[in-house]
Amino acid sequence: MRKSGRAVGERLRILGLETSCDETSVALLDVGARGESVRLVKHVVSSQIEIHAKYGGVVPEVAARTHVAEVVSLLTSVLGRRPLEAFDAIAVTRGPGLATALRVGIQAAQTLAWLGAKPIIGVNHLEGHIASAWLLPENRRAWSFPALALLVSGGHTELVRMDDYCRYTVVGSTRDDAAGEAFDKSAKLLGLGYPGGPVISRLATQGRDDAFDLPRPMLHDKTLDMSFSGLKTAIRRIVEAQRSNVRRPSFLERAPDGRRTFDLCASIERAIVEVLVAKTIRAAKETGARTVLLVGGVSANARLRRDLAAAVRRELPGAALLKTPVKFSTDNAAMIVAAGAWRLMRGERHDWKKLDAEPELDL
Amino acid sequence: MKRSTIKHHWSVPDERGWSVVAREVVALLRPGSVLALQGPLGAGKTTFVQALAKELAAERVPKSPTFSMLRTYRVRRPSASLGTGWIQRLLHVDAYRIEHERDLIPLDLDAELAASDAILVIEWPEHAAHWLKSRPHLILRIKILKQGRKAEIQNDQ
Repeated sequence: MRKSGRAVGERLRILGLETSCDETSVALLDVGARGESVRLVKHVVSSQIEIHAKYGGVVPEVAARTHVAEVVSLLTSVLGRRPLEAFDAIAVTRGPGLATALRVGIQAAQTLAWLGAKPIIGVNHLEGHIASAWLLPENRRAWSFPALALLVSGGHTELVRMDDYCRYTVVGSTRDDAAGEAFDKSAKLLGLGYPGGPVISRLATQGRDDAFDLPRPMLHDKTLDMSFSGLKTAIRRIVEAQRSNVRRPSFLERAPDGRRTFDLCASIERAIVEVLVAKTIRAAKETGARTVLLVGGVSANARLRRDLAAAVRRELPGAALLKTPVKFSTDNAAMIVAAGAWRLMRGERHDWKKLDAEPELDL
Repeated sequence: MKRSTIKHHWSVPDERGWSVVAREVVALLRPGSVLALQGPLGAGKTTFVQALAKELAAERVPKSPTFSMLRTYRVRRPSASLGTGWIQRLLHVDAYRIEHERDLIPLDLDAELAASDAILVIEWPEHAAHWLKSRPHLILRIKILKQGRKAEIQNDQ
């Protein structure tokens, strides 16, 4: 990475591309030189617009899967008729993710950087998630270091200490399944469909969260690591016990029909959220965090938002909880721009010729 | 083509039991080997891969690849099959989220295996049946018992 001597002056219109996994997203943000103001000019995610309609329904299957058709369509809709005049710099996800998927975004960004002679910055997808909280003005005002981020999604569950912009240390993480995956697979075992998080949360509001005793592995151990894979076995046991007890009514069978599912969903949600909250608070205490960041797809979970807020108030006096806006919690390009802006403001650049996908990139 | 039939099974009373299975399975692998892992949710497929990675002297402990679909780990272990060099990468694939087999294409598995320094372990091989059909592979089936697990290995005949 190259460092130029001075930071970029005035305002910067930054184009962002995100193609690391399932979503294709393009965003254009107008960012003040020191991040004092951030304006979202345009932001699109592939699932939001009818690409197939534009192509008359003929999207080559492989291209569709690898974001090619999406990225072209989204760039056209964001940049308009004078694409190279619409932005000053480009931020693109370089990892972690699928190499072939990442390369679609990177190659599009490289082409635009070369054509327009614009600076380009490759962004770590995980840093993007952390920066998503920065898109909210009140969060930017309250932001202070050290910060402790709980990054929680379908693919990641990490506790990250942040000592300054762009300076991270992963202090804890899941050892097996991500928390979002724990929700999804629990829902699958209960036959409730996909994605599991929203379904379980919705049903949980009508259940008793102490109805089932589910494991909270590693809750009391000294590390900041977590484990969620044991939940699957526990849920399977409950489901099977119910099946084999059909002729011998148990407490499960005596519950009014349908209640068991509500109760089990509430118990699952509580088990997952309790571990996340306890480990986050412990990590924040150990790092002396002044702000706690809640980011990633699972940060949209209402109970997690509520319980973590209460725990921060109770156990971390003086610290602020900064939650990512729900619309920026899942994979999106606006957060990639936000992280790119941090880097660009420090004068960092990549050489477009040397930028490549890094599927196993760490923070 | 004639291949000798391998068939063997283990009883796995608890999580620690996977290390025995992993040690014996590694002896069947060489660069380019494909191992399909069958078993229901919560059977211990990823736990087995963690034991396998340890046996291969991986630098990191594998995590669930369900979301990313493919995770790659650096490992270092001489192939048990003399003359076939080192196993240097462990490709951990999860086809759980694969709905159509064309979704496997972006994983570029053929190119990864062509490098002949890697073994590939795939969870939910039922979702990649067509891809697997055209290449020799081993199958490790995991069954959930009342107490513990049973694991059974055989080749694709």
